[in-house]
Amino acid sequence: MSAPLLALFTTSAELTGAQRLVLILPLCLSVAIIYKTTRLEDLREVPAAAAVLWVTIVLSMCAVGFGLWALFSIML
Amino acid sequence: MPMVPAPSDSAVMADVLAAPVAGLLGWLVPGLGHLYLGERTRGIVCLVTITATFWTGVAIGSVQTTVDPRDRTLWFLAQICTGGNTLVAYAWHAIVTPNPSPDRERASQAQAALVVPHWLSVDVGVHYTGVAGLLNLLVILDALSRADGGPRGGAGGSRDRPKGAP
Repeated sequence: MSAPLLALFTTSAELTGAQRLVLILPLCLSVAIIYKTTRLEDLREVPAAAAVLWVTIVLSMCAVGFGLWALFSIML
Repeated sequence: MPMVPAPSDSAVMADVLAAPVAGLLGWLVPGLGHLYLGERTRGIVCLVTITATFWTGVAIGSVQTTVDPRDRTLWFLAQICTGGNTLVAYAWHAIVTPNPSPDRERASQAQAALVVPHWLSVDVGVHYTGVAGLLNLLVILDALSRADGGPRGGAGGSRDRPKGAP
């Protein structure tokens, strides 16, 4: 195995705060795909259902984050 | 009344063992339990998604800090649900991380105080691997349910809600 490939797993990535937030998107996509894969019997429905769930999770988390930020701003 | 042939002992044994074998295989390699039960596409989707999520987390946080049962015990309990992936990552962690001796530990603590740690990356990596483990737990439970002939939505149906339901 080539050294650069090994180094990919032995050195941590340097992330900024914004990059850290963006990385929530693929994680939510994994959750949506696995959840819908286990729930739906017809696997042809999975891509569309997972996409809808993914958007729902992301928008809901944005809404919760915005709500908490607003609450925090009002309280201080 | 037509005679129904009695199932052979080996067929009964195979039925009894289906759930534990599917669960164990699903723990060892994500999706393998479904492949064992003949759910090929479902198994491959689970295998690719969970394995990619786990190793993306290891790549972000590095193998030295992401899978660490001493420092992150609760997260390790979640990670170990991916079985084989976590065992490989932990073996790799043990190889590349030297044994802590008191002198070496003091030196590394002094060094850690001087350098800025990539704690953001490590946190993201740990979250990825932990979530991958919990997703595999869901997949294992689904395999166990299917092995026991659990609830199905019917042909082309969904377990979310029956077709035609409001």
